[in-house]
Amino acid sequence: MVAPEVTLTQLNRADGSAAYTHNGYSIIGAVNGPIEVQRRDEQPEEATLEVNVRPSAGVGTPRERHLETLLHNTLRSIILTRLIPRTLVQITLQVRSLPEEDTSTGVNTSLTLLPHLLHTAFLSLLSASIPLCTTLTSVLVAYPSSTTKSSTPLLSPTANELLRAKPIRSTHVFAFSGDRRLLLNESDGKFSYEEWETACEMAEEVCCKEEDQGGVSLGDSMVVDGAVQSQNLEKWLREVVRRKVEYEQRWKSAT
Amino acid sequence: MASALTVVLPGDVVAQDALPTGTGKKKTLTLGPGLRHIPPNTVTTTVAGTLVTDNRKNAALVEYNSGRYTPFAGDLVIATVNGSAAENFNCLLTPETPPAALPHLAFEGATKKTRPQLPPNSLVYCRVASAGKDQPPELTCVDPSTGKGEGLGPLKGGMLFKISLGMARRLLAPKSELALLDVVGAKVGFEITVGRNGLVHVDGGNVRTTLAVGRGIQEVDQKALGESGQRKLAADVLKSL
Repeated sequence: MVAPEVTLTQLNRADGSAAYTHNGYSIIGAVNGPIEVQRRDEQPEEATLEVNVRPSAGVGTPRERHLETLLHNTLRSIILTRLIPRTLVQITLQVRSLPEEDTSTGVNTSLTLLPHLLHTAFLSLLSASIPLCTTLTSVLVAYPSSTTKSSTPLLSPTANELLRAKPIRSTHVFAFSGDRRLLLNESDGKFSYEEWETACEMAEEVCCKEEDQGGVSLGDSMVVDGAVQSQNLEKWLREVVRRKVEYEQRWKSAT
Repeated sequence: MASALTVVLPGDVVAQDALPTGTGKKKTLTLGPGLRHIPPNTVTTTVAGTLVTDNRKNAALVEYNSGRYTPFAGDLVIATVNGSAAENFNCLLTPETPPAALPHLAFEGATKKTRPQLPPNSLVYCRVASAGKDQPPELTCVDPSTGKGEGLGPLKGGMLFKISLGMARRLLAPKSELALLDVVGAKVGFEITVGRNGLVHVDGGNVRTTLAVGRGIQEVDQKALGESGQRKLAADVLKSL
């Protein structure tokens, strides 16, 4: 699996932003907050969260509203909303481009987009330094319905892979927190409980770091810059943050 | 320097031995921004950045340079007056945030008869008197013990420049020495006022100096110039004057 490409704090007017590209999905996320909230949305003890998803073409449809609801509920559980009461955190996600084959794969396109939206939103929140209680990583798992060979699930498939494995029997999106809790699961299609469990374990493997490697010092791991090949999203996230920190601290080493 | 950084992600548990141990008088551990205490004795991070510990002050914090300014009591800020109410000026520290209150009487020498007249959009250099998540921030321009302004008050002339929060912290640090300001300041006179909320006010007496100095500071911030880079920039700035 190729790690997603990210540029943090790309927009200079927003409080935090991230430009994200992975497998042909390209999204820009911007976060503003904590800012003043409209009186009718104000919550006395919590921050209000507003998520806007803009499609790559046209105006938002019920599909985008559905994605917004999913994102809203997932992000709410990782933002420490009680630390910034009576404020608004506004998240805007603009889909820039989708892979060409996206519509012809025959699977629910909102599920293939969801992990990317989650990553972009999380990275924008990191960039805006909104208080969070944990990290978030997400992945898509798809089961092709081949009757002849044993159906091995596809992990984070590209649109092209999905097209070739057509027809797809079921697709699953999982999102995990840094402490290996399942934050979100959306499944579509026909599948048995065992299949779901396998998919969930696969996703957990990719999203969360292996336990025996816990507390790896960041200095020696991941020295390859540019084309980062990582099997693990947690590691990838640390690398992104390390780059952000290095960029912010570069004045200390400058001559 | 860069090798000793401890990069943290939100939700990381800070190990007990990474925190400073209390020595001497200061026994209680102070947690700065970006850290959260979960009783009984777990400390976790809430933002991404580098963990900084200070053994002498027995304090730990996460340093980061992004996001919006959040007021803390004691910070020096440049506030923009938004309007005047019965007893307060409503001021903005950052755009689109709830207004901070600056009492009419919180100026040096202000009485009920002679209160300062500040039209909307005027700038005031002030200190955050109180801030917290449960009430809007309150500002003041006087030291409560002496009643003196001590450099705080309305800012006249000059121009406001936006800088990053990290740069503002750097400029306000007790031992901050920006080579650019030293070199340029030796040749031309100007006055800068740094607000913790990511703003710097420059008054150079004339438009040319003001712009040159302000843009110079912004360039040092954006390009993260070191000492030699700043000297080079300072020479360019002086040439343009």
